[in-house]
Amino acid sequence: MSSEDKLMISHLLRRAGFGTTLEELERYLSLGYENTVEELLNPKSPENMSNDVIFRLFPEYHASIGPDAPANWAYKMVTTQCPLQEKIALFWHGVFATACDKLNYPLVGLNQVEMFRQSGFGEFDDLLVELSKDPAMIIFLDNQTNHKGAINENYGREILELFSMGVGNYSEDDIKECARAFTGWTIANADYMALMSQKDSIWPYSRISWHFEYREDDHDDGVKTFLGETGRFNGDDIVEIICRQDATARFVARHLYNFFVADEVPVPQWNITPPKDPEAIDELVNAYIQSDHDIRSVLRVLFNSEFFKHAQFAKIKSPIELVIGTLRSTGECRTPSIDMVRAVEEANYMGQSIMYPPSVEGWHTGEEWITSGSLVNRVNFASDHLGNLDNPGVENIVNHILAENQHSITAGQIVDRCLEVLGPLGVSEDTKNSLLEVASKLDVIESNGHSRQQKIKKLIQELIRMIVSSREYQFV
Amino acid sequence: MKYLKTIGIKSNQPVGRGFLFPYDVSFASDGKIFAINRSRVKQGWSSIHILTFDEEWIGDFGRGQLISDDDYHFELPVAIAFDSKDLLYLTDEGSNEIKIFDAEGKFVDRWGSDGFDGAGFDGPSGIAIDTEDCLYVVERNNNRVHKISPDGRSMFKWGEFGTSEGQFNMPWGISLDSDNNVFVADWRNDRIQKFTSDGEFISAFGKSGYGEGEFNRPSSVVVDSNGNIIVADWGNERIQILNPDGSFKMFLQGEATLSKWALEWLNVNIDEYDARKKSDLYIKQLPPHLRTPYHVGSQTEHLFYGPVSVKLDSEERLYITEHSRARVQVYEQS
Repeated sequence: MSSEDKLMISHLLRRAGFGTTLEELERYLSLGYENTVEELLNPKSPENMSNDVIFRLFPEYHASIGPDAPANWAYKMVTTQCPLQEKIALFWHGVFATACDKLNYPLVGLNQVEMFRQSGFGEFDDLLVELSKDPAMIIFLDNQTNHKGAINENYGREILELFSMGVGNYSEDDIKECARAFTGWTIANADYMALMSQKDSIWPYSRISWHFEYREDDHDDGVKTFLGETGRFNGDDIVEIICRQDATARFVARHLYNFFVADEVPVPQWNITPPKDPEAIDELVNAYIQSDHDIRSVLRVLFNSEFFKHAQFAKIKSPIELVIGTLRSTGECRTPSIDMVRAVEEANYMGQSIMYPPSVEGWHTGEEWITSGSLVNRVNFASDHLGNLDNPGVENIVNHILAENQHSITAGQIVDRCLEVLGPLGVSEDTKNSLLEVASKLDVIESNGHSRQQKIKKLIQELIRMIVSSREYQFV
Repeated sequence: MKYLKTIGIKSNQPVGRGFLFPYDVSFASDGKIFAINRSRVKQGWSSIHILTFDEEWIGDFGRGQLISDDDYHFELPVAIAFDSKDLLYLTDEGSNEIKIFDAEGKFVDRWGSDGFDGAGFDGPSGIAIDTEDCLYVVERNNNRVHKISPDGRSMFKWGEFGTSEGQFNMPWGISLDSDNNVFVADWRNDRIQKFTSDGEFISAFGKSGYGEGEFNRPSSVVVDSNGNIIVADWGNERIQILNPDGSFKMFLQGEATLSKWALEWLNVNIDEYDARKKSDLYIKQLPPHLRTPYHVGSQTEHLFYGPVSVKLDSEERLYITEHSRARVQVYEQS
């Protein structure tokens, strides 16, 4: 395999997953780029630890109350063999942002994540219907208070503004008609569940999960006019109309581009700021329309496109991408433990608390991830974990670097190999010179013996810490 | 079996009445109920609570309240059992030891942390005590049962990893019948194995599945005086009762009602009580990705959700401890 193949597949796995270990990279290289894309798009078994063992080793995950729920999801991200399945769930979680602090029971949020895993690659129409029935979304956007004759516009507004079309593509009347169509789409025991949520009640017997209920007696079955069409529309009809709008195709395409290809401006600016790459958006729009809104088909076009292949390191890692990618590399989280809760907290300190987005708008991405405080946390986290030679994944990295020419290896070769296994990562001339300066300590390490090997390992450790502290490592 | 009552209420603190994450119960000779509260997220919160059948709160011990004294600190407690002298034996799969307390909660001894009898424990889980006060301790990670004399000497061990007779895959609960035969919940092999008190294999019941006589990760087993084998079918979120010959007898799915503590709480939180009275807490329909016993249990308050332990008291009442519902459902012989 050429170094170009390695670059491309590493790039693909950083975007469609959370990076690769050396072993994974070898396997994907043997598959080739296009076959790897297909494997990622058609996940089979995640092959991570099954729930029964997870629940026995960490029974709190069974109840998934409080910090156990995001830790439960993060553990799956760290250990999955189907990384795009987790990544697509993370993508939709950012688009259909639902915060568990309003939900009383984070397991309901985890159930939503599972729905994203199951439906996230399919037709956008089906996904929007599932989303509209999702108990977490219903409570989050108050659709349990959207009644016949007394509408609550909240979900009707957001499904248009933030979930499908974007500002400027519909009227205030469309919002009202949309809300009317979703009356009766509620959860069972809505009053009791909403009250428990408001009071954050855990009594008497801990939290109760929720399920969707359609109440025909509370549904407004009257004639509605929505986006220029008229009929006795129910929620399913509204979704069908939404999904065949050109604006929806462009909105979905731009979201996919922003998440998988390159950072865009925040969503609220999309109606006034053109896309970074209009031709790329057009390609994705065409794929959406020609495939009858099939997300898997759109992603296939995206990952095989030239604009994707030319977008290496064009995005800033989100905090959860940085944390999960680091922990996958270090191999230190092979069984569920309290460490996963702490790792999720670390991402929180960096500005992203999964399952607790700041608003229905989700997170602003790109440069907004970087502040003076979050940058220190990002550097410290990566440096602490990837600079720990006791972690099995780090030990593998060091042994790989030393696998050839251990006795005659040069400072320049050590730097190059470190950059290769941590990316492969291209760095600026200044960064490279700094690394070479540190690596030059090799010249004063005695030429033989066990202590030489230990000293070289320490040198590699220092270089790894420097590289993961670099500006370049913040990009994906 | 006939449903009798529910004991407990959810607690968010390791102190006072209620359960944080109940894992097992046992009974002192005076009838007091001892219940494990287990918490990994908040280190030092694991404890043992003492209460009566009528939900009179008596107290608790453990949770590292004597910080300088590690004897009272529990890491990951799994199971408890009383011997004939009213000593309580607790397995801790975090510290890999057994701790012994009297019926007042006073520390007596600890075995295993310094390499018990030259062998040590690896993941001590279920524990049972025979009529001679010998201990049978399941070791999850060693896939074996360890028999220990009343004075703490290792007598013998049996079992290894595998699926054949006498082999185990992450075993968990253990119990003895009136003849001191040993029943082991062979957790990841989805079966119950029966042995003599010398560890000789007698029979095995069950296979993987959701049907009658099938299990999904059985975590606990107990045998009543008629020889019926009662199994916490943990992964199927139910209890399964087998006849003495191992044939299927019945399922229990859970019928929880409001406990005394729950009623007391609701009576001073009237808004929730009123809303609750107007609700129908039985589920109707779930989307395909949620039609599993786990999700049904999570959505239906009266059904079992995390039924981790089954125990019988001196009156042969059956106590089913549910870690994720913070309660114990009690059944009586019908």
